[in-house]
Amino acid sequence: MASAEASLRPTRRASGGAASAWLRLAALPVLVVLMEVGFWTMQPDVLSARNLINVLQQSTYLIIFAAAQMVVILTRGFDLSLGATVSAVSVASALVMTSLASGGGSAAIAVAAGIAAGLGLGLLIGLFNGIFVSWLNVNPFVATLGSLNIALGIATTISGGNPVFNVPNALSTLLYSGKVLTIPVPLILAGTICLALYFVLGHTVFGRSLYLIGNNPRAARLAGLPSARYLVLAYVICSLLAAFGALMLTAWTGSGEPNLGGSLMLESIAAAVIGGVSLRGGIGGVIQAIVGGLFITMLANGMDLLEISGYIQQITLGFVIIAAVFFDRLWTART
Amino acid sequence: MIEAATHAGQRRRSAAVERLYRLYDAAGVLPLLLCVLILVFALFVPHFASVENILNVLRSSSFLMIVSCGQMLVLIVGGFDLSVGSVVALASVISAIVMAGLKVPLAGDPALITLLGVLGGLGCGMAVGLLNGLCVAWLKISPFMVTLGTMSIAGGVAFVLTDGIPVYGMPVTYVNGFGRGLWLDLPAAVYLAIAVVAAIWVVQNLTRMGRYIFAIGGNLDAAVVSGVRTRVYLTASYTLSALLAALTGLALTAEIGSGQASMGAQLTLESIAAAVIAGVSLRGGVGRVEMVALGSIFLLILTNAMDLLNVDSRLQTIFLGVILVLAVAAEEARGRKWGRGQR
Repeated sequence: MASAEASLRPTRRASGGAASAWLRLAALPVLVVLMEVGFWTMQPDVLSARNLINVLQQSTYLIIFAAAQMVVILTRGFDLSLGATVSAVSVASALVMTSLASGGGSAAIAVAAGIAAGLGLGLLIGLFNGIFVSWLNVNPFVATLGSLNIALGIATTISGGNPVFNVPNALSTLLYSGKVLTIPVPLILAGTICLALYFVLGHTVFGRSLYLIGNNPRAARLAGLPSARYLVLAYVICSLLAAFGALMLTAWTGSGEPNLGGSLMLESIAAAVIGGVSLRGGIGGVIQAIVGGLFITMLANGMDLLEISGYIQQITLGFVIIAAVFFDRLWTART
Repeated sequence: MIEAATHAGQRRRSAAVERLYRLYDAAGVLPLLLCVLILVFALFVPHFASVENILNVLRSSSFLMIVSCGQMLVLIVGGFDLSVGSVVALASVISAIVMAGLKVPLAGDPALITLLGVLGGLGCGMAVGLLNGLCVAWLKISPFMVTLGTMSIAGGVAFVLTDGIPVYGMPVTYVNGFGRGLWLDLPAAVYLAIAVVAAIWVVQNLTRMGRYIFAIGGNLDAAVVSGVRTRVYLTASYTLSALLAALTGLALTAEIGSGQASMGAQLTLESIAAAVIAGVSLRGGVGRVEMVALGSIFLLILTNAMDLLNVDSRLQTIFLGVILVLAVAAEEARGRKWGRGQR
C-alpha cells in the first residue's frame, strides 16, 4: 500500500529522496546559466534583453512538443509521429483557412475552422496511436512509426509538397504576434498549457495513474485502473498538444509547411530526456520538459549568434544528448 | 469399415492440418503473404515478372537486407540502432573522399586505392559502432539516446566533410565492376547480401556468440549470472550493426558512383520496419535472420509494385505505414493465440 502511494508520487526517483530529486532538477538550470555566461563572454549580444525574450519565445514551441512527448514517455512509450503530425496539421489547417478565406468568408470563421480542423486531425492521429498501442498491444515504436508514415503522406499529398501561402493574418495575431498585458501570446499559451499539464499530472487520478502505468504496468492493472483507456488518452493528449504547437508554428511562419516538423520528432524526445524524463517510464514532469526545451533552444541560439554552422551544431547536439543522458545515469546510480 | 476409413481420413487430415499449423506457428504469416503477393503481382502488375524488374528488386532489397541484418542483432539484445542511416552516409562519404584523394598519388594502382577506401569506410563504421556499444554496455546509457546522439554526430560529420556536395573520383573498376556490375547475371550486391545473411545465420545457429546474444536479449540478468560476458557481446552486436551499415554504404556508393552525405537516411526506420515485420521482437530475445531477409524483400516488392502501378510516392508512404502497423498487430494477435507474447 505504502509503495503504491510512493509510486504515484510524480517526481519519484529510483531510490533517492526528495532532496536529491531537487538537486537533479537544479543541475540542468545551473548548466543553462553557465552555458549562457560562456556564450556571453564570446558574444555579449547573447544576454541582451532582446535576445533573451526572443529565445524565450522561440523555446515555447519546443517546450510544448517536449511536454507532449513527456506525457507518453511517462507510460514507457514514445511518439515518433509527433514531427509528422506537426507537418500534417500545419498543412491541413492552412488549407482549410485559405480555402474558406478565399471563398469570401470572414477571417474569424476561417481561422476558427482551421484551428478546429488542425486539432481534429491531431485527435485522429492520437486515437490511432493510442488504439494500436493500448488495445492491439502493438509496440509504441511500431505503431507511431506507422502513423509517422501516414501523417507524412497526408501532409505531402494534400499540399502537393508545396507550402500553403495566404494564411489569414488573423491567425498570426491570435497565436503569434498578439500581446496580452505586454506579454507575447506564445508565452501565455505555453504557460497555460504547462500549468494545466502540471495540474493534470500531479493532481488528478488520471495523471497519477500514468506514472504507475509507466512504473509498473501490471500493478496498474491489478490495482483496477482503467489502464487501457488512460493509455489511449495519453496518446490523444500528446497528439493534441503537438497539433496545437503546430498551429502556433503555422501562425509564426504564416504558411502551411509540409516539412515543418522535420526534426521535431527527435528534438522533442531529446529535450524531454535531457530535462530528466526517463525513457523507462514513470519519471518526469512538466518542469523537466520546460528545462529540456529551454536548454536545447538556448544552445542552438547561442551557437547561431556565434555563427557556428548548422552541421557543427548537429554534431554538438549529438554529443550533448549522450553526455546529458550519461550524467543523468551517473546521478541515478549514486543516489 | 467405412467408419474406420473416414476415421483414418480424418486423422490424416488433422495430422496434415496440424503440420500446417506448426509450420505457420514456426514461420508466421510472412512467407505465406510473400508468396501470395508475388503471385498476385506477377499476374496483375505489368512488367513485374520481367527479368529486368526482378534484378532491380533484388538489387535494391539487398541493400536494405544487409542493414536490417545488423539492426536485427541489436534488436535481439534488446536495443535499437537509430544511427545506421547516418553510418551509411558517413561510410559513403569517407570511402569516396579517401579514393578521390588517393587518385593522383596512387594513380597506377586502382586496386590499392579501392582497398584503402573500403577500409576507411568500414573503419569509421566500426568506430561509430564501438562508440554505440561502449556507451550502451559499459556506461549503461539507453540505446535509444546513444544511437540518437551518434546519428546526429555521424550525419553531421558526413555533411561537414562534404558540405552536402557529392564526392566524385572513384576508380572506374570499383564503380563498373562492383557497384553496377553483374556477376553471373546477378548484381554484385545480391552476392554480398547472401553472404551476409549466410554468415549471420551461421553465427546465430551454430556459434556460442549467437546463443549468448539470444540469452542477453531474453534475460540480461540471467545471462550475467550464467557467466556470459554480456558487455563484450553487447558491444559486438552494436559494432556488427554499424559495420554492416558501413558495408551497405560502400555498396550504394559504388552503385551511384559518388559519395553522398544525404544517402541512407530512410534506411534507419526501414531496417527496423523490415526486422519487425519479420517477427523480431522489440523486447529482445527473438529474431531470425532468414525471416529478416524475407522482410526486406517484402517491403521492397510492395514498393516496387506500387511504383509499377504508378501509385504516387506520397500515397505509398501512407500505405506502407498502414501495412507496417497491421502486420505487427497481426503478429501480436498470433503470438497471443499461441500462448506467447504474454506480458
